[in-house]
Amino acid sequence: MSRSAEQLYADLATVVATAFPDRDVSVAIGPDTRVFADIGLASIELVVLGERLEQFYGRKLPYGPFLAGLRNRGAEDLELGELVAFLQAHV
Amino acid sequence: MPEVVVNGVRLFYQQTGEGPDVVLVHAVTSNQAVWVFSGLPDAIAAEGFRVTTYDLRGHGVSERPPTGYTSAAMADDFKALHTELGLEPALVVGHSFGGVIGIHTALHHPECVRAVILSDSFFPGLKHVEPNFGRPNVWVDLRATYQEIGVDLGETVNFTRLFRATADLAPEQLKALETQVGPIGRGWLRQLPLLAETTCGDEVLAEAGLTAERIASVERPVVALYDEFSPFLATCQWLEANLPNCTAEIIPEAKHLAVVENTAGFTAAVVRHLKHLTAAPQPVPA
Repeated sequence: MSRSAEQLYADLATVVATAFPDRDVSVAIGPDTRVFADIGLASIELVVLGERLEQFYGRKLPYGPFLAGLRNRGAEDLELGELVAFLQAHV
Repeated sequence: MPEVVVNGVRLFYQQTGEGPDVVLVHAVTSNQAVWVFSGLPDAIAAEGFRVTTYDLRGHGVSERPPTGYTSAAMADDFKALHTELGLEPALVVGHSFGGVIGIHTALHHPECVRAVILSDSFFPGLKHVEPNFGRPNVWVDLRATYQEIGVDLGETVNFTRLFRATADLAPEQLKALETQVGPIGRGWLRQLPLLAETTCGDEVLAEAGLTAERIASVERPVVALYDEFSPFLATCQWLEANLPNCTAEIIPEAKHLAVVENTAGFTAAVVRHLKHLTAAPQPVPA
């Protein structure tokens, strides 16, 4: 059974806090939270986050195409709602 | 992210796909995210290759030692990474300084390299043939951006000056600069002061033994992909004329970072050349 959106947001909060312990991630985690502007991640850290999510869920995710799709549509940031929708489809 | 320790430095890498090895090498102040966000690794892997991307020392999330940033030192890193990961002789795709590393590796460690695909690389050893050396359009653009916050980076490329100037920015200047470069560029800006603590700025512009004569002696196949509006088209012409096995091609609608500026065109060219370079030799008709 797939995980609920609520569970996935909690997972993300855990993974981000573990992967980037020196980063202040006290910002409220929600669908409109932006990974660059609000959480303060750099693009390479978004790549790292993908690896950590694969470790967390114990499976390979099509994360590269997801990030490429983000760039292809000219997005300047990634909202967690988009990431959660991606995870709902793949975990 | 998977990591490997080479020459005492921890480097982070990613791999995808199965088949002949392709290694993507990014430019100075960049990192492997530039490849991942372009979709290039997956596009190459889909054609039957194993693709490795990694962050050079001092870049991305790799370790940042104080020294060891010449193309010669980074070629040694490449060799060690190649050995640690058990790669076959690889097709190296290098953007800008990444291509210099690819050529240096092909000379110092030819057993690691099957071919090199350059993307708009500049070579300190070829500055005598390159009228735009030190004054590329990307530097002109960057200088203009910094001038808007009252900082002059100078007319010619000087990475050390860029790193130190960024480290010395007042909070309000940094905030203004972050606004100009946007959320994604903010991560790029953040690493510059860290590189000021290293010899990277000066060393990446050093010839480091890679003279014109040495470059011309590369025996591995070289594909020179240069951008339509590149500041280094004289370099492209020199490579095509002087290397024993070099094919040149112009990537349209790009000025130095084709993988971003013309992702579709660059990807198609890289995939086409990779397939050609790995194609079985055609039997000679009787």
